[in-house]
Amino acid sequence: MAKGTVEHYMQELDGELRDLPPARRRELLEEIREHIGSALEEGPGEGETEVRNVLERLGDPADIAEEARRRFGISRAKPGVREIIALVLLPIGGIIIPVLGWIIGAILLATSNVWTGREKAAGLLLFPGGLLPALSVGVTAARMCGGSTEVGGRVAETCSGASYSSLALVILAVLVLVPIGTTIFLARRMNRRAATG
Amino acid sequence: MHRMVAIGQNPALAAQLRKGVLEYCVMALLQKEERYAFDLVRELSDMDGMVISEGTIYPMLARMRRDGSVETTWRESSAGPPRRYYRLSPAGRKALQGFKKEWSTFREAVDNVMDGGENDG
Repeated sequence: MAKGTVEHYMQELDGELRDLPPARRRELLEEIREHIGSALEEGPGEGETEVRNVLERLGDPADIAEEARRRFGISRAKPGVREIIALVLLPIGGIIIPVLGWIIGAILLATSNVWTGREKAAGLLLFPGGLLPALSVGVTAARMCGGSTEVGGRVAETCSGASYSSLALVILAVLVLVPIGTTIFLARRMNRRAATG
Repeated sequence: MHRMVAIGQNPALAAQLRKGVLEYCVMALLQKEERYAFDLVRELSDMDGMVISEGTIYPMLARMRRDGSVETTWRESSAGPPRRYYRLSPAGRKALQGFKKEWSTFREAVDNVMDGGENDG
C-alpha cells in the first residue's frame, strides 16, 4: 500500500519533469527516490503514515519541477497554435479532407510538447479518424434506409427510422461520443498545463 | 556611509543575495566536512523558515554541481546502496568566503536602515 503511494508520487513527478532534458530528469528522479529511501530508513517505520509524511516534506511535484525549470532556464511547454489546430483536426479533420485531415491532426498531436505520451496515445488510439467513421456509418445507413421507391405511383419509404437496429445506434453513438470525449479530454489537459505554467 | 555605497555599486550581487542565499547555506554546511545528500537536505529544511519543500533543494544541488561549486562522490554505505556525498569544491570555498563578507556588509547596512540611521558610523 505504501509502495503504491511512493510510485504514484514518482510517476507524477516524472510527468511534471518532462520539460527537462532526459539526463537531468533521470538524475533528479534518482536522487528523490534515494531521498525517500533514506527518509524511511531513518524514520520510525515504512507504513502509510510515514510515507505520507516524507512525501509531504518533499513537497508538491509541480513545485519541484518548477524549481528545476527555473534553475536550468527551461520554460514550460505552452499550448499554442499547433495544439489548437490539432484539437480541431482530430475530430473533424477527417471530414474536411478525408483521412488526410485526421492524419495531419494526428501528426500535430504526436509532435506537440504539451501532452504526455499516454495522453497522445489515448488521443490517437481511441478514435482513429475522428468523427469520420461515425459520419460514414451514418451516411451509409441513411442511404440504405432513406431511399424511397415508387410503387404504383405512390412513394413508399423502404424503411423508417425505426429500422435502424439498436446495435447500429449504439455503435453510432460510440463512434460519435468517443472522439468528442477524447477531444474534450485533451483540451482539458492542455488547459491544465497552461494554467500551471 | 561606505556600506550603502558598496551595495549601491554592486546591485547584481545584492539581487543574487536575495535569490541565492540558500546556495551559500548549503556551502556553509559543507565547509567543515562532506555530507550525504539526505543529511544535507534535512539539515537545511530544519533551519527555520529556510525551505518549504525539501524536493526543491535537489534541483538547486544539481545546478550547483553543474556550476562547480560542489562536487559529489559515491561512497559505500553499510545501510544499503552507495550514497552520494557532497563536498565543497575549491571554487565553492572561495565563493563562500566572498559571500560571508558581502553578507555581513549587507546585513549591517540593512540593520542600519531599519534602525533609521541611528547607528550610522
